Amino acid sequence: MSYRAAPRRSVVANAIYGLLNPIPFGFFVAALIFDIVYAKTGEMLWMKAAAWLIAIGLVFAVIPRVVNLVQVWVTSRRTAVAAERLDFWLNLLAIVVAVVNAFVHSRDAYSVVPAGVWLSALTVLLLAVAHIVIAVQPTAPGNLAHE
Amino acid sequence: MNKIRYRSVLAVACVAVLGGCDEKASFQPDQQSGSNPPLPTAQRFLLPPMQVPDKAGWKPGQTPTVAPGLKIDAIATGLMHPRQLYVLPNDDVLVVESNSPGSEPVTTPKQLIAGMVKNQSGKGGKGGNRITLLRRKAGASGEWEKHVFIENLNSPFGVQLIGNSLYVANTDGIVRFPYVTGETEIKVPGVGFTDLPNTINHHWTKSLLASPDGSKLYVGVGSNSNITENGLAVEYRRADILEVDVATGASRIYASGLRNPTGLQWEPTTGKLWAIVNERDEIGADLVPDYMTSVHEGAFYGWPYSYYGQNVDTRVKPQRPDMVAKAIKPDYAIGSHVAPLGLLMSASNALPATFQGGAFIGEHGSWDRSPLSGYEVVFVAFKDGTPVGKPVSVVSGFYSKDEKQLFGAPVGLVQDKEGALLVADDVGDTVWRVTSATH
Repeated sequence: MSYRAAPRRSVVANAIYGLLNPIPFGFFVAALIFDIVYAKTGEMLWMKAAAWLIAIGLVFAVIPRVVNLVQVWVTSRRTAVAAERLDFWLNLLAIVVAVVNAFVHSRDAYSVVPAGVWLSALTVLLLAVAHIVIAVQPTAPGNLAHE
Repeated sequence: MNKIRYRSVLAVACVAVLGGCDEKASFQPDQQSGSNPPLPTAQRFLLPPMQVPDKAGWKPGQTPTVAPGLKIDAIATGLMHPRQLYVLPNDDVLVVESNSPGSEPVTTPKQLIAGMVKNQSGKGGKGGNRITLLRRKAGASGEWEKHVFIENLNSPFGVQLIGNSLYVANTDGIVRFPYVTGETEIKVPGVGFTDLPNTINHHWTKSLLASPDGSKLYVGVGSNSNITENGLAVEYRRADILEVDVATGASRIYASGLRNPTGLQWEPTTGKLWAIVNERDEIGADLVPDYMTSVHEGAFYGWPYSYYGQNVDTRVKPQRPDMVAKAIKPDYAIGSHVAPLGLLMSASNALPATFQGGAFIGEHGSWDRSPLSGYEVVFVAFKDGTPVGKPVSVVSGFYSKDEKQLFGAPVGLVQDKEGALLVADDVGDTVWRVTSATH
């Protein structure tokens, strides 16, 4: 399209999204690392730390996920590109996996392994793919947010 | 509100993993009682079986229900979380009013939520950190005289009198008070007698029993975790029964691998030491049955590495096949998650003939079970020094029929001079007295 659509995404929403969206990914990557260390050592520190990282990562994910939901499916549904829709679904799946993983991490001691490690890995994989999908997408019209 | 939160959490978990909510118990407690309880396969949960009734307390005039041939009366009410009872030689009754010191740090997201659930049931109620003395009013029925006996204790549990010395097991150590027969108040400060394991205090109760000759004190010390989730270092001298030399205060581990030995008694016919033990949680509504067992010197009873002999608990890292091989199977199961917190061995008492010569057990009930189990006082008959048959309910009716409201929960048990059974109720804040109906 040759014209620039009226901006449907608010600058404030974009700012909040840009600020908060990277945080859960970092938390989940750290949780995966700690889970691997715990699986190898059995030292409780790492599993408890991973449990907090997953729980806090999920809390931080709430606002950016809601902003993304509204932007992709409501306010910008006409201009949202396929990559953004795929990004939405990948994130949603990652959050569901992370919620299950938070419950797995409420188990005592080594019963978190191996399920917790696999779920952490899956969470990170899904979010990593989502980030790459957005990073390599052609610039979409009306898309003010830059990854 | 907590309940709503929990239900929603449960709902999310159920949606997340279909079929993950088949968590109800399939055994009745008495089916898992006896010397050879059936043990289903251990499970791993997203959310363990859980049911916590709301604290309701007793309405005026409302009492627990008793077995046919018995009657029950309140002899003290309005106490501050009464946990243990002890009968002095002059028939005065000591009531230990106590609860967790609350010193366990919150180190996991789960602990945040678990604390809320516990408080909802009244089991997290504040303890009095004191001992109250009850004295029967001469010739009068109803409530007994109540005197504040010792104050400013630190989560006390066990009490024993040896000669003129009263030993009180605080959560961090045993203190000794001078006792004069007939007094209703001890003002002098206690003297530190010996330290007890005092880190974290996940299981904080220190049960206490003197040897008949007064030369030793046996102390039940609970583990610092459900199943080593606080690390193995904090389990040093935990989950065991310590033997303390009364002359010197020196102690050693008498028996180990007992996850939470909350009651100790001498079996009257054989003179052997017996204990009730709270087994581990979160591997099933029907695992692991709590038990009552004779305690052999130097023996290892499995925790944390295994349960009921060689049933390995895979949650422990590192695994210890050498310890599993050593583990002894306990004598008598009393059902899963009944949470025994009071033990009374009674050769004879003033109750009907069916309740002579056996063990009374106060079952406090557990969060980790649906439907509820425990929340009653049961009797297990003994023959020639070993338990026989199934546990028989003596006092029950501590929760509403729909399992939503909790009126009380039994803990410590003693027998008074007349042979009546006294029951401490730490949710109903009451001491109950059970006698023969025809008495």
